[in-house]
Amino acid sequence: MSTEQPNIGDLLPQLESSDIRQLEEIKSLINENLSTERGSVLLNGLVDYYLENNSAQAMQILSSVREPHDKHLLDKMNDCMTKQTSRLSTLTLLGHVVRKQPSWIHKMARYPLLLSLLKCLKTDSDVVVLITGVLVLITLLPMIPQAGKQHLYEFFDIFGRLASWNLKNPGHVSEVYLIHLHASVYSLFHRLYGMYPCNFLSYLRSHYSMKENLDTFEEVVKPMLEHVRIHPELVTGTKDHELDPTRWKRFEIHDIVIECAKVSLDPKEASCEEGYATMPDHLYPHPQLRSQHSASSPYADFHSSYGQRATPLTHCAVHSQLLNPSCELPFSYGGKELWSPSSLCGMATPPSSRGISPNPELSHSASFLPGHRLHSASGESYYLFLFLAVFRNITFLFFHSSSLNAPITLPSHNSPAAITEELLKITEDKRDLAGLRGFDSPFFHTTETLTGTQGKPLAGLALGGPMLPREPHHSVSTPDRALEKAQGQNGDGDGSRSSPQEQSWSFQPVCPFSPIEHPLHQSPSAPEDEVAKVSDLFSPSPSMKNPSLPYEALFDLALPRAASLFIGRRTSEALGRAPQSDGLEDGEEQLGEGRVSASPLEVLDRLVQQGSDAHDKVLKRLPLPSKSADWTHFGGSAPLDELHTLRSQLLLLHNQLLYERYKREQHAVRNRRLLRRVINATALEEHNNAMKDQLSLQAVDMVSLRESLRVEQQRYRQLWEDRETVVTRLHSQIRQLQQGRDEYYTKNQGLQSKLNEYQKRMNELEADLQRANNKVCHTGHLLNQMTVKLSTSESTQQQMSFLNKQLLLLGEAHKLALQQPQPAGSNGAAVSGTKGPQMVQASWGKEAERLRQSLLLQGQKLEAAQQRVGELDIQLTKKEHLIAEQKKFLEDVKGQAKGELQASESRYQAQRRVTQLLQKELLQLYSRLEIERPACCTTASAAGGNGGGRGNGSTLSPWQPKANHPPASPSSNSVNGTEDVPPPLHAPPAPPPPPHDTAPLTVGSYPSAKSFLGMRARELFRNKSESQCDEEPPRLAGLSQGLKTELCVEPLWPTPGEAPCPASDPVLTVTPAAVSKPPPPVCVPAKEHPPDTRPRATKLDVPRRKMGGARGGAGPTAGAARPRQQQQLRIMDYNDMHQDRS
Amino acid sequence: MAEDPPRNFRSAYYEKVGFRGVEEKKSLEILLKENPLDVEKLSTFSQRFPLPSMYRIHVWKVLLGILPPHSDSHTLVGGYRREQYQDVLEALTVMRFIQRATPQTQVYLRMFQLESQLLPRCSETTPPDSKDEDFLSIARSMEEIVEDPVDCYWLIKCFVNQFSNKFGDSIPHLPKSLEHYLSVEDPRLLNHLRTTGALAMLPYSLWFRRCFAGCLPESSLQRVWDKVISGSCKILVFVAVEILLSCKIMMMKTNRPEGVVNFLYNMPQENTDAIVSKAIDLWHKYCGTPMHPV
Repeated sequence: MSTEQPNIGDLLPQLESSDIRQLEEIKSLINENLSTERGSVLLNGLVDYYLENNSAQAMQILSSVREPHDKHLLDKMNDCMTKQTSRLSTLTLLGHVVRKQPSWIHKMARYPLLLSLLKCLKTDSDVVVLITGVLVLITLLPMIPQAGKQHLYEFFDIFGRLASWNLKNPGHVSEVYLIHLHASVYSLFHRLYGMYPCNFLSYLRSHYSMKENLDTFEEVVKPMLEHVRIHPELVTGTKDHELDPTRWKRFEIHDIVIECAKVSLDPKEASCEEGYATMPDHLYPHPQLRSQHSASSPYADFHSSYGQRATPLTHCAVHSQLLNPSCELPFSYGGKELWSPSSLCGMATPPSSRGISPNPELSHSASFLPGHRLHSASGESYYLFLFLAVFRNITFLFFHSSSLNAPITLPSHNSPAAITEELLKITEDKRDLAGLRGFDSPFFHTTETLTGTQGKPLAGLALGGPMLPREPHHSVSTPDRALEKAQGQNGDGDGSRSSPQEQSWSFQPVCPFSPIEHPLHQSPSAPEDEVAKVSDLFSPSPSMKNPSLPYEALFDLALPRAASLFIGRRTSEALGRAPQSDGLEDGEEQLGEGRVSASPLEVLDRLVQQGSDAHDKVLKRLPLPSKSADWTHFGGSAPLDELHTLRSQLLLLHNQLLYERYKREQHAVRNRRLLRRVINATALEEHNNAMKDQLSLQAVDMVSLRESLRVEQQRYRQLWEDRETVVTRLHSQIRQLQQGRDEYYTKNQGLQSKLNEYQKRMNELEADLQRANNKVCHTGHLLNQMTVKLSTSESTQQQMSFLNKQLLLLGEAHKLALQQPQPAGSNGAAVSGTKGPQMVQASWGKEAERLRQSLLLQGQKLEAAQQRVGELDIQLTKKEHLIAEQKKFLEDVKGQAKGELQASESRYQAQRRVTQLLQKELLQLYSRLEIERPACCTTASAAGGNGGGRGNGSTLSPWQPKANHPPASPSSNSVNGTEDVPPPLHAPPAPPPPPHDTAPLTVGSYPSAKSFLGMRARELFRNKSESQCDEEPPRLAGLSQGLKTELCVEPLWPTPGEAPCPASDPVLTVTPAAVSKPPPPVCVPAKEHPPDTRPRATKLDVPRRKMGGARGGAGPTAGAARPRQQQQLRIMDYNDMHQDRS
Repeated sequence: MAEDPPRNFRSAYYEKVGFRGVEEKKSLEILLKENPLDVEKLSTFSQRFPLPSMYRIHVWKVLLGILPPHSDSHTLVGGYRREQYQDVLEALTVMRFIQRATPQTQVYLRMFQLESQLLPRCSETTPPDSKDEDFLSIARSMEEIVEDPVDCYWLIKCFVNQFSNKFGDSIPHLPKSLEHYLSVEDPRLLNHLRTTGALAMLPYSLWFRRCFAGCLPESSLQRVWDKVISGSCKILVFVAVEILLSCKIMMMKTNRPEGVVNFLYNMPQENTDAIVSKAIDLWHKYCGTPMHPV
């Protein structure tokens, strides 16, 4: 980059190159460099270059600098601002940049450049710098509305300073500057008042309430106040509110500008937008026009916008002026009566036409003509040029709009030819007039200038062509000022003349205007050429006409209804009145005096106009070649000084121009938007109309459809009715048919029943037939039988007859035979001899018969026997079966019995165990007793047997008392109980039981009873016990029986006292040892203990033995339960055996 | 049986589908309706199927011979049994072997001893030996199962008698067979038990002499006893195996044999039904299902 940097820097001078291609290259190079590089070097170089050379190219590049470089640019400019020398050009550059409205412009408020600008405005004393700065500031203000907040009072201070500049520094500066200064202060006033009315007013109030400022107020500010209306913010807003950033957010830049213009009453400043644009209403003949805002604005707008005539987008205004130049004029004239002097606003109307009116004969046209004068008689050429420019813009616009809304373009009402004609006429008129009036009025102020210039157009026309490319706008805007100024006064006559001061302003600098800048103008202004140049003028005119067509179409579009009518009428009126207006105007110009203090802008306009006039005069007077001498001749001042002044004036004018152009652009932006709205609205209206048409069409459709619907309904109804009738008819038919059908049904049914009947009968008949057939068959059969019988009977008859015959024969033979014996009696013996065998034979036969019979009988008998055998066999099997069943049953029963027996066996076992246990217990107790006894026992035994027995019993158990009872009631039951006791009591003779109480008992009791008697007896008994058993079986049995029952009844017999009994009772065959055992314990002392164990062992054997004994002995006699049971047992055994066997 | 009308034709499918005990009750009722009861069939049935609890006692009594096969003599025999019980009881009471406060099981023991001639003399009563303990614990369990004391006593007595008569010889071999089946079912567990030495210390007497009385809750126990009473002591082995398997995790955790034995003595009472069911399945698996009696 560093290597390239110098290169680009070197390239800068080449920006002035005349070669377009090279220029483009360099430009693109620089732009590219700027876009790629972020450094500030190149930019700084550019700025420097601009400051040095004032290069337009550099300016262009700088003013279109992009975002990252804005800081550098502004910083650089800030640097340059500090230097006195470069300040002016920096401000100019700043102006350019600001007017370009780059996207970063809102950042401006943050940079020190603004501060330095303000500082410069507050401190600088150079008027040119101040004016330039103020214009920059005015331009800048709408762009940074909220940022202005903190600098607000600085703005006000600047205003105050500049307003009082003239009074404070009288004579310091040339009056020309003052006019410019005043104009710019005026603009600043408008801007500040428009943007910050409350703050500004309070500032004014506070600032001019001071005595020393009163003059300034009177002189400067008060006239300015006359040009503004009351700002609505003054009513509704507050100081804080108008500084609120949110307020400004809603506005775009041009909105702010228009806002400011709205409150202005000065036609140069004012805007006639809605809410404020009331003035031009009386101009409109058609209400539609008035309602159409776009239509109304042109007139109002024109005054302010005319200055920026080239504005491409104020086409409505320009359009009306262009197309209806002539027609507008009559209106303006007509309107002149309405111009009451008091209505200041009225001023707005007439100049509108005047500004561009191509009718040079009108005195009004002076308003624009002065502008031409400025540029050495090129006014008309400017004018035409403006036309050109406007048309070009319009065409441009049209193409745009047509490309956007192509389908909307409508055929123009006015044919191009007509317009061409018209324009031709106008120009001719112009020429004529020019020819008539010539250059005869250069010395008059207004009228003369006006008329004077009228000739000039022709000259200017020639110049117009070449001039076009060269800054047309610049040149245009300035004349506009003059024009406007003139306008303001035209209505009231010579307003400029009436105010001497202003006149003086305007007069002095008149001569030195513009020639320097426009050397071209000076050359071909000879009147002789004029006519020739007219043709030149016309050369561009066709080009003007063609563009007018699309524009017109556009106009038609915007004002669909009224436009064509309006245009047509105006044109005709203008054409008609053109001649007479001439005179009128002349007179009128003399009329009113300017009663209202002129706006500074007007003053400036006038200044320019006068300058132009002066210049014209000078030019005319002086031969062209001697131009250089002109300076001293005219102004008298030193040329150098003059040159400087002129330069700065030029600069100021330029600045002013730029400012105005900027304003114009803002308006253009706005107008563009408004037009878009108009177009939209129109499109909507069109759409609406189309919809309405459609609606009506649809309504018609609907009516027709309704009609047809009605018809169809009628038809439908008719058809329905027809159908109904048909249906009813059909119904009736159906009913009839149904009736018929029903009848048929009934008939059918009758027939069917008949048929059934017949069928039944048929069946019967068939049955009959069958029966008959049967009968026939039967009879046939019978017949057959009968025939058979018959044949047999016949044969029997034959046999009968045959037998009869035989009988007869036999009878005869018998007779014969009877007769024979007699004859043949001799043969009797023989016969008897034969008879014997016969008899034998017969007897044999009979014998055989008998035998056969008997055989038969025998066979029958045999058969019967066999049958019997079979039966018996069957019975046998049955029996066997039965027996098997019986066996099974028996088995069953046996099983059952076995089960039961087992149960009882187990019970018995248990019982035995219990008993054993009890015995054991008993024995134990005995043993214990015996152990305890010796002491008492010895005494008892010594005392006596009875006592011992008793003692024994008593000591034995508590059962003793019970045991004692039995003696009283001796029973078999209590035998055992008495066992011990009775013997001692009653001795041997026993009660009835004794017979029962056999040996065992005696055995059992003997010992106890005989214990007293002695041991020997016991021993004896023991030895004989077996024999005893044999000796007394019945007793034994009885005893056993009794015992058994007892045992059964009282199974538990735990009394120790009776223990001997149980021991003895089974012992029917008991061993003497066992029987005698109890006694020994009783009588035998402790010595006998050892044998005590033995009885126990023997006892265990008892049941077995008993069983055996029972089986052996007591079998037959036993009637008691015990034997029975044993029998059962035995049966069971037998069963067992039997089972085993089986 | 085919012509038996009440038989449900679906019965053939019940078992296939996995329903058990649907037909058993009916079959059992049919069996019990026969007049000389077929003890053989009953025991097969009892081996094969779980007994419905409403018939259990009756079946047991028949199987143990407390009631004869002939239902006609049931009342008579029942009366005998009752009388015998009362006789013995009275004898004991008279001999002051038992008092009012004597626990029922003690009473049963005494009675049993009396009937088996083992009753010591009143003065010589010795503390119960291991056999008596076995009897007592069986009696405790039986007491829970049976309400009527007569029935209870008889059942205990016959159960103990039958058990000792029938299986007295095979009981010493049961631990071996347990080892065998465990090695088939879960050799790891067996190894573990073997290595820890717990195998020898397993509560064999609890299991095989008391038939799990006191080890399993009665509801499970009676199902085991069904099998024992119907003539199989192998079931004890399988129950033991199942117990070991179901407590396997716990066993594997403990290395001390005392812990294992302790645990087995105080086995958790839940889930025993499942153990018994599995054990029966296992038993069926190894010993085969007995032929269906029907």
